[in-house]
Amino acid sequence: MAGVPLKKTGGFLPIRTNGFDRGFISVVILILVHLLWMRFLEGVLPLWVATGLCLALAVFIIRKG
Amino acid sequence: MRQSNIGWLFLAPATLILLVVGFIPFIYILYVGFFDWNTNAVDPTLRWAGLQNYRSLVFDTTFLNSLARTLVFAFFVVVSELLLGYVLARALMADRLWVRQFFRTIHTLPIVVAPIAVGATWRLLCVPGFGIVPYYLKQWFGIDYNISTNAYHAFATAIIMDLWHWTPFVTLSLMAGLTALPKEPLEQAQIDGGNKLQIFWYVIVPMLKPVLLTTVFIRLMDALRSVDEIWMLTKGGPAEATRFIGLHIWINVFPKTDYGYGAAMSLLTLYVTIVLSWLLFVAMTGRKGDAQ
Amino acid sequence: MRRSGIASFVLWICLTILTLLPVWWMLVVSMRPRVKLYSKSFLIDDLYWDNFLAVLNSSTFLQYLWNSLIVATSNAALVCALGLLAAFGLSRYRISGGDNVFFWLITNRMAPPAVFLLPLFLLFTKWFVFGDFMLFDTKIGLILLYCVFNLPFAIWLLKGMLDGIPLELDEAARVDGATTGQVLSNVILPLARPGLAVTFILTWIFAWNEYLFAATLTSSADARTVTTALAEYVSVTGTNWGEMAAMAFLTTLPALVVLGFVQKHIVAGLTFGALKG
Repeated sequence: MAGVPLKKTGGFLPIRTNGFDRGFISVVILILVHLLWMRFLEGVLPLWVATGLCLALAVFIIRKG
Repeated sequence: MRQSNIGWLFLAPATLILLVVGFIPFIYILYVGFFDWNTNAVDPTLRWAGLQNYRSLVFDTTFLNSLARTLVFAFFVVVSELLLGYVLARALMADRLWVRQFFRTIHTLPIVVAPIAVGATWRLLCVPGFGIVPYYLKQWFGIDYNISTNAYHAFATAIIMDLWHWTPFVTLSLMAGLTALPKEPLEQAQIDGGNKLQIFWYVIVPMLKPVLLTTVFIRLMDALRSVDEIWMLTKGGPAEATRFIGLHIWINVFPKTDYGYGAAMSLLTLYVTIVLSWLLFVAMTGRKGDAQ
Repeated sequence: MRRSGIASFVLWICLTILTLLPVWWMLVVSMRPRVKLYSKSFLIDDLYWDNFLAVLNSSTFLQYLWNSLIVATSNAALVCALGLLAAFGLSRYRISGGDNVFFWLITNRMAPPAVFLLPLFLLFTKWFVFGDFMLFDTKIGLILLYCVFNLPFAIWLLKGMLDGIPLELDEAARVDGATTGQVLSNVILPLARPGLAVTFILTWIFAWNEYLFAATLTSSADARTVTTALAEYVSVTGTNWGEMAAMAFLTTLPALVVLGFVQKHIVAGLTFGALKG
């Protein structure tokens, strides 16, 4: 974290990040969405939908964050 | 500075030990969390359970309540310690040198006392029938104070105990921060005719921000994991009024030997802790949008 | 001016009383015979030592005390030695990825112990087993375990100290033909001695104070520590307050002894050097 230079602003995230940070954010969101999904949505939609959505989001965050 | 891999040789022993006692347990628990494993069950082996542990976890109200209770506790404790600590630090800074030094010693006392002894001491103070706190509250103010039956009293006592234990630390670190502040901006603000509140908010707080955030960070992490004191004071009771998350894990996992579920419980707690500390860390290192 | 002088005086008196009262009360209770236990006076009526004697005459407690001494001392020594080496490496060599390793080392201290209880318990009882020897319920297990929170602390503290020792001294010794080991032992070690003393005392206190790991990862008198004795005592005899207070006081004693010495360093230590005390 400390060693990798921070990317300049321009990503859509409100903070300056490096690759590690964006990967970390993606994982945090992935876990959060899965937990909430299991709690509230799994009766309606299967869990792999959440996985798909999160992976897409992760790619987006890591590329454009 | 020498550019060489010999440096690694010096780091190796420390890294090795921390890998064994810090990192391997994390990987291991990550693995166990996906299994159904109870050594006292009919089938005491590991059986793949996928996300089943987590699925039951998000519906486990006792666990979720405990987590929420911990967050409420941490919030109360950190906010009040910060306010109290700041007021005390300012008052001490304004006073004579020997007063400062005297209180620095006095204030170190609660910090170094073993948490378990802190709990024992507060139990001696607060336990109904024996302690002096319930006795004098009744005598002087007519308050019926009972930490073993009244959930609010127990919760409040847990908070006050933590205030006693850790406000001195906040005071001392804010004093250190205040001492290091440059004098000129303050004097300039006074010349410019700012009132006390303005000076506090626009001059002191921004300059003190790194210190404040560091202190909050350390206090929050400690408050989230406090177990020993509470265990001695109330054993998490009455009912579950003071059963904070660490205590919940501790008193649930080992008697029930439901290791898969315990692993999931521990990991979710770790997740919450990591996310909170990461947010604070980002705030601390000040990576705000266009800064710099 | 005079009014505010009195006000601050009253404030400081109250603060002193509030801070010291719990510890004072512990001492008061520990010096009360059974018949006077329920007295509500704040004063020590007479010097009654039987509670302390009873505690110190119990062979189990003495065993626990001994365990605590061994565990805390060995852990502090281990942590100081490894911490000094690591700090030397971090401070004197440019290590590729060193910053990241350093960051990871430090985060270990922030880990909530309750989360690591289960995996450590399982690893200690099922995996780290060598023939008849398993780490569970041994002093060695605890000594290694306390590195989780003490080692990052020591590395941080010592790195700060070593960064303060001028690099020219190393270079001068090397010009005179000293090996790296000699630089470490003849240049760094004497200069780092005060820092090492602080580190040793603080880590010793932290190890002495630890409860949760000790309670979960030990089960017999071979390895249980003073803090677990105190907790056990409360659950075994709920009402023998005098002896419980005496035991709590004995547990607190080392901290009281080093109080004056650590007060200068405790803030810098606990805030990871972000603040100088």
